[in-house]
Amino acid sequence: MKPETFPTDYGMWRLFARCGPIFMATFFFMWGVLAGNLPPAGAYLDAAQIKAHYIDNGMAITIGMSISMVGGAFYMAWGCAVSQVMRRIEGPDGMLSSIEMMGATITCAPVIIACGIWLTASIEAPALQPEIVHMLYWLGWMIIDLAYMVTTFQIFAVSIVFLRDTREKPLVPAWVNWWGFVTCAAFFPVSLIPFFKTGPFAFQGAFNFWIAFFTWYIWVTAVSIYVIKAVGRLQIEDGAATGSEAAHRSAVLAARTA
Amino acid sequence: MTELISANHVESRRLPGVEGVWVFIAADMAMFGVLFVSFMLERLENPALFEQSRRALDVNFGGINTLILLTSSWFVCLAVDAAKRDQLPQVPHHLAAAFVCGLAFCASKAFEYTKKLSAGISMLTNDFYMFYYTLTGMHFMHVVAGCVVLGVLWNKSRAGAFTSDNRVGIECGASYWHMVDVLWIVLFPLLYLLR
Repeated sequence: MKPETFPTDYGMWRLFARCGPIFMATFFFMWGVLAGNLPPAGAYLDAAQIKAHYIDNGMAITIGMSISMVGGAFYMAWGCAVSQVMRRIEGPDGMLSSIEMMGATITCAPVIIACGIWLTASIEAPALQPEIVHMLYWLGWMIIDLAYMVTTFQIFAVSIVFLRDTREKPLVPAWVNWWGFVTCAAFFPVSLIPFFKTGPFAFQGAFNFWIAFFTWYIWVTAVSIYVIKAVGRLQIEDGAATGSEAAHRSAVLAARTA
Repeated sequence: MTELISANHVESRRLPGVEGVWVFIAADMAMFGVLFVSFMLERLENPALFEQSRRALDVNFGGINTLILLTSSWFVCLAVDAAKRDQLPQVPHHLAAAFVCGLAFCASKAFEYTKKLSAGISMLTNDFYMFYYTLTGMHFMHVVAGCVVLGVLWNKSRAGAFTSDNRVGIECGASYWHMVDVLWIVLFPLLYLLR
C-alpha cells in the first residue's frame, strides 16, 4: 500500500522562520534597551549598588524581563523552521538537523530562566537583603552565559549542513556559515566570566558581552533572512519538480496511447 | 593571446581557498584585534605592573615558539606548492612536518604554563597575567584546532586528494594556519618584548 502523502505547508515554515527576527527584536529592545542591559550593570558593583540598580529601574526591568521570557520561546519556533530547511539538504534522517532543533529548543531554557531570575530580583528587591539581590543578579548571568555550548552545537550544525548544500546558488551563502564558526569561536572565552569582574572577559566586558552577544545577533539575523528566502526557493523547486513529473507522466501516457 | 593573458591574470589574482574561510579569518583577527587594543589600554593604566610582570616571562620560550610556528608555516607553503606542481608524494610529507611543529608548539606552551602555574602565577595574579593566559590560551586553542585540520589534510593528501586542479581544501587549511602564525607574531612582541 502506498503511504499517504501530505502537501507541505510552506506558509507555516515561512511563519516560523520569521520567529527568529521576532525573538531578536524582542530580546534587543526588552532585555537590552528597556531593562538596561546595553551595557549591563557591571560585575564589579557591590551588593548595595546592585540592589540600588534594581530599585531605581524596577519597573523597566520588570516589564523588560516579563516580555523577554515570552519572547524567548520564539527562538525555539525559529529553530524548528531552520531544522526543516536543513532536512531538505541533509535528508529526513539528518542528525545535524535534529541537533539544531534540540540546540535551539534548549537555548530557550537558560534565556527564559535567567530572565525569570532577574524578574524576581526586580519585584522583590525592596524586601530583600542586598546580598540576595546580588546573588540573583550573578545567578542570572552565570545561567544565560555559561550555557553557551548548547547554542554552539546548534550553530555548528547549521553551518555544516548549509555548507554542504550542493546547489549552484546555495540556500544560505557560505559567508553566513563561516560567520557561524566565528560565533562559535567568540563563545568560548565566555567560560572566563566567573573569574573576572572588570576587563574584556567580565560579563559586561568588551569581549564577553559586546563581541559574544553581537556576533550571535548577526548570525541569527543573517540565517533568518536566508531561511525565509530559502522557503520560497524550496517551494519553487518543488513546484518545478512536480511540474516536470506531471509533464513526464503526460508524455508517457501520450506515448502509450500512440 | 589576449584571452590567455586575461585568464592567467585571473588565475594569479584568485583568492586561495574559499571566500568563506577569509570571512572567518577576518572576523577572528578582528576579535583578537579588540583584545590587543584592550591589552594596550590596560597597559597604559598600569605600565609599572605590566612591565614588572612582563620581565617574569621567559623570552626564550616565546622565541622558540615563534621559530616553531614560522617553520610550520614554511612546511605548509611547501605542501601547497607541491600540490600546485602535482608532486603528490611530497604533499603528505610537508603536512606531517607542519603537524609535528604544531605539536611541538603545544608541548612547549604546556611546559611554559606548567612552569608558571607551579610558581604560583595564575590568570588571577594580576591584569597582565589575565591577558597573558587568555590571549595565549585562545591562541593555543587555535593551534590545537589547526593541528586537527593539518591531520585531516595529511590523511586526505595520502590518497592524493590535492592536485593542481583540486587544491581548495589545502589552501583553506593553509590560510587558517598562516593566520594562527600571524596572530602569534603579534602576540609574542606584545606580551614578551614590549617595554
